[in-house]
Amino acid sequence: MNALRLAAGLALSLLGTLGFGAAGLRAAPDLLLIPVGDAALRGRAPLAMFAGLLAGLLEDLVSVPGRLLGLHAFTKILLGYLLASVAARTVVVKPAAVGALLAAAVLVESVALVLLLWLLRGEALFPSPLLVLGRAAGTGLVAAALQAALRHPWRERHEARRRMRLG
Amino acid sequence: MANSSLTTRRPEILLGILLSACLVALSLQVRRPSGETVGERWLQTIVSPFAGTVAGIRTATGDVAEWSSSRRALLDENRRLRAAADGLEAEILRLRDVERDRDRLLALFGVHRTPPAGTRPARLVAVESAGLFRSALLDQGETDGVVSGGVVVAAEGLLGRVVAVGAGSARVQLLSDRVAAAGVLLVRQGRAAVARGDGKGGATILYVPTIEAVEPGDPVVTTGTDGLYPSDLPVGRISSASRSGSLFWEIQVTLAADPAKSSRVFVLPPVRPSDIPAAGQVRR
Repeated sequence: MNALRLAAGLALSLLGTLGFGAAGLRAAPDLLLIPVGDAALRGRAPLAMFAGLLAGLLEDLVSVPGRLLGLHAFTKILLGYLLASVAARTVVVKPAAVGALLAAAVLVESVALVLLLWLLRGEALFPSPLLVLGRAAGTGLVAAALQAALRHPWRERHEARRRMRLG
Repeated sequence: MANSSLTTRRPEILLGILLSACLVALSLQVRRPSGETVGERWLQTIVSPFAGTVAGIRTATGDVAEWSSSRRALLDENRRLRAAADGLEAEILRLRDVERDRDRLLALFGVHRTPPAGTRPARLVAVESAGLFRSALLDQGETDGVVSGGVVVAAEGLLGRVVAVGAGSARVQLLSDRVAAAGVLLVRQGRAAVARGDGKGGATILYVPTIEAVEPGDPVVTTGTDGLYPSDLPVGRISSASRSGSLFWEIQVTLAADPAKSSRVFVLPPVRPSDIPAAGQVRR
C-alpha cells in the first residue's frame, strides 16, 4: 500500500514537474520532494530515504540541462532521513506546519547542493536567493494545500449534504 | 546487544550506504580540469599513504641491500688491505734487517776503509764457550775462500782468527780465549804489549811496567808485530789496572767486539810475513 502510494505520488509529481518545466516556470515548486515528505512524515525513515533516492534520480534525469546523476538523489535521501527524524519526534499534521517543514527542506536542499557541488567541482555555485525562496515558498504552499486537501473530511461533508437534501 | 544496536541503527546504516553510493556515482562522473575524475582523485588520495608506505619499504629494502652490499665490499677491501698491511709490515722488517746489515757493513768498512784483497764478509752462526776456551763458528768455509789463519773482525774491532776450516764453515778462536794472544799497543802511552784472553770474555795485558801511566779507558789496538793480526785493529779499552806488587801492571781489557752481538763480520786474509812491521815501525 505504501509502495503504491509512493509510486503514485512520484508519478504525479513527475508529471507536475514536467508540466512546470514545459511552462518555463523558473521558480517552480519542488513537487518531487512532496512524496518524500509524505513518506517521511509517516515516520518511516527507510521508506523516506528510498523515496528520496527515486525522486532524486527522476529529478536528475529530467533536469535540463542534464545534471549529475545522483546529485538530487543524494540531497533527497538526506532530506528523507531528516524529515523522518523530525516526524519521529514531533507530530506534524497541520497543513501550515507541513508546508513550513517542506519549505525549510527546500532551503536545506539548496544549501546541501551548494556544498556538494563545491565538494565535487571545487567551486561554490550559489543559486539566486530569490529563486530559492520562491521555490521554497511554492513547495510549501503546494504541500500545505495537499495536506489540507488530504485532511479535509470530504466523505462526512458529502454525507451531511446528502442528509440535508433528503431532509 | 550488538545486534540490537545494529537494528536500531538500521536507518543510519541505510543512509550511509545510500549516500556513499551516490557520492561514488557522482565522483565517477565529475571530471577535473586535469582529466581525472574526482573519484580517481579521491582514490589516489586514499591510496597515496599506502603507496608512499610501499615506496618507503621498497626504498628501505634497497637501502638495506645497498648497505649489505657495501658492507660486504668494505669487508673484502678491509681483508685485502689487512693482507697488504701484513705484507708491508714484513717488508718493513726485512728492509730494517737489510738496513741494519748495511750499517754493520758500513761500520766494517769504517774499520778497514780499504780491506785487503781476499777479504770476505761472513756471519757468525754460533758462539761457544767451554770453560776457558772461547770460539765461534763462521758460516763460510774452504769453498768460500776462507783459510786457516784468517783474521776475523767485527764493526767494533778484532774478534779473533780462523783456526780450523771446513768445507762450508770455519772455527774462530776468539781473542777472549784463554790460549789466544795478540801483540797490542797502548795508544795513549805508545807502549807495545801482549794481550791474552782471560777465558771470561775479556783479555789481560801483560808486561807493561808500572812506570807507564795507565788509566782505565785507554784504547788498545793491535801492533801487527805478532804475525797473527794486522796493525791498528781496535782491541778494546782498559777497564782496570792494578799494581800487584811486581814490576808490571795487571791490566784488564774490555774487548771492543762482542761476538754475541756482532753476527756480521769480515774475514781478512792471513797476515803475510811481508806485512809484519819491524819493531821500530810500531806507531808510538
